[in-house]
Amino acid sequence: MSAEYRPGLAPLVDVAGLETHFPVRKGLLRRQVGSVRAVDGVSFAIPKGRTLGLVGESGCGKTTVGRSVLRLVEPTGGSVHFAGLDVRATHGEPLRALRRRMQIVFQDPYGSLNPRLTVRAILEEGLVVHRLGTPAERLARIRAALERTGLTAATLDRYPHEFSGGQRQRIAIARALVLEPEFLVLDEPVSALDVSIQAQVVNLLVELKAQLGLTYLFISHDLSVVEYVSDEVAVMYLGRIVEHAAADAVYRAPLHPYTLALFSAVPRIDPARRRRRIVLSGDVPSPARPPAGCRFHPRCPLAESVCREIDPPAMVVAGHLVHCHVAARELEQAGGDAAAASRMLAERMARPASGTITCGGNS
Amino acid sequence: MTAFHTPAGRVPAVDGVSLSIERGKTLGLVGESGCGKSVTAMSILRLVAAPGRIESGRILLERDGRTDDLVRLSEPELRRVRGGRIGMIFQEPMTSLNPVFTIGDQIAEAVRLHRDVNPAAARARALEMLRLVRMADPERRLDEYPHQLSGGMRQRVMIAMALACEPDLVIADEPTTALDVTIQAQILELLADLRTRLGTAILLITHDLGVVAETCDDVAVMYAGKIVERAPAAELFADPRHPYTIGLLAARPGGRHAGPLKTIPGMVPAPQDFPTGCRFHPRCAFARIPECAAAAAALQEISPGHFVRCPYAGGLGEPRPCAAEGAPRPFATEGAA
Repeated sequence: MSAEYRPGLAPLVDVAGLETHFPVRKGLLRRQVGSVRAVDGVSFAIPKGRTLGLVGESGCGKTTVGRSVLRLVEPTGGSVHFAGLDVRATHGEPLRALRRRMQIVFQDPYGSLNPRLTVRAILEEGLVVHRLGTPAERLARIRAALERTGLTAATLDRYPHEFSGGQRQRIAIARALVLEPEFLVLDEPVSALDVSIQAQVVNLLVELKAQLGLTYLFISHDLSVVEYVSDEVAVMYLGRIVEHAAADAVYRAPLHPYTLALFSAVPRIDPARRRRRIVLSGDVPSPARPPAGCRFHPRCPLAESVCREIDPPAMVVAGHLVHCHVAARELEQAGGDAAAASRMLAERMARPASGTITCGGNS
Repeated sequence: MTAFHTPAGRVPAVDGVSLSIERGKTLGLVGESGCGKSVTAMSILRLVAAPGRIESGRILLERDGRTDDLVRLSEPELRRVRGGRIGMIFQEPMTSLNPVFTIGDQIAEAVRLHRDVNPAAARARALEMLRLVRMADPERRLDEYPHQLSGGMRQRVMIAMALACEPDLVIADEPTTALDVTIQAQILELLADLRTRLGTAILLITHDLGVVAETCDDVAVMYAGKIVERAPAAELFADPRHPYTIGLLAARPGGRHAGPLKTIPGMVPAPQDFPTGCRFHPRCAFARIPECAAAAAALQEISPGHFVRCPYAGGLGEPRPCAAEGAPRPFATEGAA
């Protein structure tokens, strides 16, 4: 897939046809008998100062995309450019210099901080690796990074176990910021936190982006959080991006049947925001043996014979990218009106009334 | 009242919690980590392990006009209740299923413990249960091991096991938290359907307010070991009265970024550090000092069926800007949209 969504600004991060396949080995000789296509042809671009939200369910490859972009796992195909530099072709010292500019915050603040290091040592590690500053300058940068994340200098000589989940995630963010990066991969940064703490950390991330002009790749399965923080949203299913557009467009007029089902499945507090539930049957297939044709067809209520045979190409209408035969036709019939096409698709996907969830006696 | 007696002193994890659920209804118990919601569930089953102990209170279970107090039952009697009259669904279907037995054996074991049936009948019942929870290809699944199933299928097995003996009450502790939303939707739909068909009462423990809003008849909100608000679900979400409930609902992002999210400053206190007076007062935007720090509030019924543990719930006044310790600095976000 080479078609991609281009938001019309010079990209800071430009990913094209990214593939990360993991070998499956078996037997005495560890012969490769197949591969897990965790990421299988993913393209996107993020302009400077913007946030791309990457959503999808477990196993769809969103985390592997984040790690492949930073080369924490080695991609097996495609290209990654950062500020015009070819990340995959860079090695040694230039790669190290590049990595200072691209940092990551992981999901689990319990697992991502070394329990045997003080906060000061955790934050200093990156500065030492990148040979930045004198000891005094390093300390000043560490203090500044902690302060930016709402922590005080009193935390410097304490250990991770002395902090709550929210505070640990602030430390993880400070560790990323101390190197003054331009781009952050945020991999489920608030998923392990309680609701009231989640809001604090989301606010912090939004504030930091504005203050420091950061660019984010925000990876999450939490659709509400992604909607709140993202400028653009890409939806992944089984190693591929199936839909990508401005956040408003994806949330107001989702076009891919998977996106429609995903959004309809989110339990809502506000009855006005509830969508008619589309319950998908079955589970996500294994990325080692993705289905032929459209990868979503075995679970798709709208699947037709063409979906079983031909992998749908990208269709882009008014900056809204979707990989779906049925949505493409619906969009054409609606004269390019994404909102109308989205309503029609949702209508066709919703099951008869007997299958809806009853809530407190009301359907 | 359930407390843990540790070397560091007595830790009151659940403090004066009163709940009731009618047959065929779902009660949602919500709160953040450490609020005591899981200890409440374990207390109902009398599964709180030492150093924890139920210090006082009653747990009444009714069937055919007869009421049993679970606190007074002997261990053999309790074993008949657990898995028999009360079914349990835990959060982690991987760790709650035994990896070395087939799922058919595990469901059949639950049946044989509570019913006087032969192995063949128990196995038939297991198959029937797998069909009931709409497991795909149930005959084959019966002889498979937990690791051969996906997370959603394992949770269906847990539900099949919990319902195998037709319990009066099912306690579901974060039953969908480990699952993806599309699978969560399948499981919640299944639970709602079984509740309607079998007339089982469900105690649904969750931190997800959206799940509660869509599946529960009544909601109880827990904070620091106490129920702070209890009401019919529709009323609680339309008209939350306790400052904690208000804060929790406001902290959820709803739509595109337009100004910072509302936050509750600080964090949930650990049971050994519960504040005096109202346990929420150090984080409360409406707290009146010194009144709220001096006296613990009682649960009051402010309208039929709507209970709030805050004496000012009738008129909270204007929230003050957060200035509590550990709170993030006030934001000066401009152009962040």
